[in-house]
Amino acid sequence: MNNELEKIPVRNELKVLESGQKRTNPLANVFDGLVKFCQSRSMFMLHYCTGCGAIELPPAMTSRFDMERLGIQPMVTPRQADILLITGYVSIKTLKRIILTYEQMASPKYVIGICSCTVNGGMYWQSYATAKVLRDYLPVDVYIAGCMPRPEAVISGLRELMEDIKSGRAESWKKYYQHYDFYLGNQQKLFGEDWQTPTDIIAEARHYDLMSDQTLGEHTALLEKHQKPLEALEMRLSVKEKQNL
Amino acid sequence: MGELIVELFLMPLVAFVVGLGMVLMYRRIGARIQRRVGPPFLQPIYDIIKLYGKQTQTSHGLIHEIGIIMAVGGYIAAETLLPVPGMNGLADKGGVVTLAYVMMVPMLGLALGVGQCANPNGSIGISRALTAMLAYDIPFILVIFGAAYVYGTTNLAEIIAIQQQQGPAGWGIVQMPFLAFAALLTLQGLMGKHPFEIYIAPAEIATGPMVEMSGKFMGGLFVMQCFQLYTIGVLYTTLFLGGGEYWLTFLPKIFAVVAIPMAIGFVFPRYRTEDVLRLLWKWPVLIALTGLAVALR
Repeated sequence: MNNELEKIPVRNELKVLESGQKRTNPLANVFDGLVKFCQSRSMFMLHYCTGCGAIELPPAMTSRFDMERLGIQPMVTPRQADILLITGYVSIKTLKRIILTYEQMASPKYVIGICSCTVNGGMYWQSYATAKVLRDYLPVDVYIAGCMPRPEAVISGLRELMEDIKSGRAESWKKYYQHYDFYLGNQQKLFGEDWQTPTDIIAEARHYDLMSDQTLGEHTALLEKHQKPLEALEMRLSVKEKQNL
Repeated sequence: MGELIVELFLMPLVAFVVGLGMVLMYRRIGARIQRRVGPPFLQPIYDIIKLYGKQTQTSHGLIHEIGIIMAVGGYIAAETLLPVPGMNGLADKGGVVTLAYVMMVPMLGLALGVGQCANPNGSIGISRALTAMLAYDIPFILVIFGAAYVYGTTNLAEIIAIQQQQGPAGWGIVQMPFLAFAALLTLQGLMGKHPFEIYIAPAEIATGPMVEMSGKFMGGLFVMQCFQLYTIGVLYTTLFLGGGEYWLTFLPKIFAVVAIPMAIGFVFPRYRTEDVLRLLWKWPVLIALTGLAVALR
């Protein structure tokens, strides 16, 4: 058991592929630096409260620890958020929702796994219904271990993420596009081979020039075989007829 | 002509910078009331740069983008109609009636943009926002009509000149206290902040109109918020607090005007939509009608 645990690094160490483009404008680097600084100082977090760790967030946000002084605010929709906080064990049913939510967020986006359960399953190690290692399904930027971590630990984890963003290390969101086959494969193992999300990751990767040789593979081929084209929702109000009482 | 072009460029820019300060003040007031430290000094600008720096954008179609442009553009147009110390812009040609029209454009633009997103939360939010607009526009128009009647003009530059001739005793707030008080209540609705922010309602309908806005769209709305607070502060100052001769006296006035409704709002819970209508159609309208009766006497 211990050997198994030692094999799992706490920080994600998958290599980020370097994009081959070089900037020719000297001001572009200055501008990129400014944007990165602002990204690190303004983080909107979507706390997807999956487990017990959620209870540590209200004290971190309110008057005792006050995250807003670091520019961290709660946001309620994935469209507006930058950080996806996953605060506790992830059941297989929940993981589907987490993936849908993650894919709807605008990049750059960051995932923080809070509590031991997101690192290795924690006390749910033997559960049949729990997705144990979060980083098999989503690229995780920072893990905050503990059962549960105190608000100080949460804030120090967020500060670490701020440093990573500022220095350009927090680019795991690119990994999701670049290693999509790997993530999709793990997702298919849990959810079945007809698993499909409303967001077309491969098309997005093509559009934003984030393809790598590991984006496509066996699993994406399987996805394309089952993929149903996305259609706009039907815009119609339906009123049920009154039943005779 | 050249001077006018410079003014048309400078007025929205100044409005944006002052508006950033107002957003900061709004968040700091909220933080202090909740016994927190609050965001750092440059937080509003960090937020806006970050939102525009997003690398993937989710657009829901042409109307979505036009809606945001209308929302920001409506307020940029409004700024050129508001006289500030040293700059009159189009205030001579526009007047307060044009301003009242232009101030409705952003909300309608937002309604268009949100409609295209096809998110039910957004539709609920925008229908509540337009209902709230119906609620605060009636006292707002009454106040504007009363003020224009008392001053005998709808020209904002002339209104300022009339008040400044007589010193503080000639300010609108002394001449017509009922209308000024009704306007202060209306401002609270106009700002769309606590306690009249049921159309945003984060925990219930996930920020309503903003639910599908990401990246640059949300950035546009953050910019709009800066303009919105500035417009409200300057309009009230122009009508009732004698405008401003110098920026040094003008800025404290507009910040105070915005700070008062904010400080009151943060300690109140949210009103429901029907309560917003009931409240705003009852008290500000009654007070404004009293003010009108006094003015028409």
